[in-house]
Amino acid sequence: MRNESPPQDMRNVWQNQRTEGIRMSMEEIRNRSGKFEGTIYWRNAREYVAALVVVVFFGFEFWRVPDVLTRVGYGLMIAGMLYLSWQLHRRGSSRTMPAELGLATGLEFFRRELERQRTLVENVWTWYLGPLIPGWVVLTAAFARTNPGHMRHIGLFSGVLNLIGALSFVAVWKMNQRAARRLQRRIDELDALQGQRSARK
Amino acid sequence: MPAPASSQDDLYRQAADTYGAALERLARAYEADGETRRDLLQDIHVALWRSFKGFKGLCSMRTWVYRVAHNVATTHVGRQSRVRSHPLVALEEIELLPDASEGELAAHRRQSLERLLALIQQLEHLDRQVMLAYLEGMDAGAIGEITGLSSRNVATKVHRIKGLLARRFEAGGNDEE
Repeated sequence: MRNESPPQDMRNVWQNQRTEGIRMSMEEIRNRSGKFEGTIYWRNAREYVAALVVVVFFGFEFWRVPDVLTRVGYGLMIAGMLYLSWQLHRRGSSRTMPAELGLATGLEFFRRELERQRTLVENVWTWYLGPLIPGWVVLTAAFARTNPGHMRHIGLFSGVLNLIGALSFVAVWKMNQRAARRLQRRIDELDALQGQRSARK
Repeated sequence: MPAPASSQDDLYRQAADTYGAALERLARAYEADGETRRDLLQDIHVALWRSFKGFKGLCSMRTWVYRVAHNVATTHVGRQSRVRSHPLVALEEIELLPDASEGELAAHRRQSLERLLALIQQLEHLDRQVMLAYLEGMDAGAIGEITGLSSRNVATKVHRIKGLLARRFEAGGNDEE
């Protein structure tokens, strides 16, 4: 060992390290694969059931209350919830297919992962929380309008709440934008590497 | 056309027989914690079996196996972000490590391996893939097929890896930086 060059020597050390000889039977493989599919199925089911409960609740309120503005607020909440569910479904179903793991090179796969993360941090407010904001604002206004006796109290409370919400929104948005820029820089570096490869083809 | 079920099983068995040990080494390079590493290895095996349904022989089985394994491990690292520089070692793993009484050479190899693993675990995804493929004895063409890097980039990276290994693990024991 000592007579070989260090790189060759380290190759020997690496290749001759002891391994546990872990093997999985076909039954274990199928069980684990089924469990994985089951986890995804139940996660999706939970999200859809939660959305359905909220839609049914707001739908009932929409039908029950006579005030037009309140009904508009509930309608917007239902629309926001449906949009959110569709986004969750769309993003969940764009998971990597099994064969893609073998078709994508390390570079392509890593780039795709970075792109996915960037899109997520860049747009999380627009698809996750944003759709619920119009309904929430209209409902707050409608509640204040239909309860004029409590108007001052409610106005102050909702003003402070909205200010805190807006400040958090800006802070998180700034942080996400910074993270997105960092991810984009990494993607650009990978593109440069890929460009060199394409240029040589 | 996707591989039929029996062919999928056969392909998986063939891959597990040929590359089982290499996959264990790969998992070790991505995850320091023993329990989590076993989970990662099982995830790699399951992903491999599932992937063979779409294997059409457009690349070699070796390239396919390493791509799947690296891509699963890349997702794992992104999810966990907890490769530890000083891993905790479980009892069953201690049995796998050479005993100190095995002599100076074995102790030196064990120490070198630990330092090599610590080095690999610090590397970025693509550099780690190149390093592992180099250590597994692959040539520049095979490394390029797995990573997607051009042969010129691979050659540059391999040159740097060799230099790094030469500096850090110089024969004669003067390997502390």
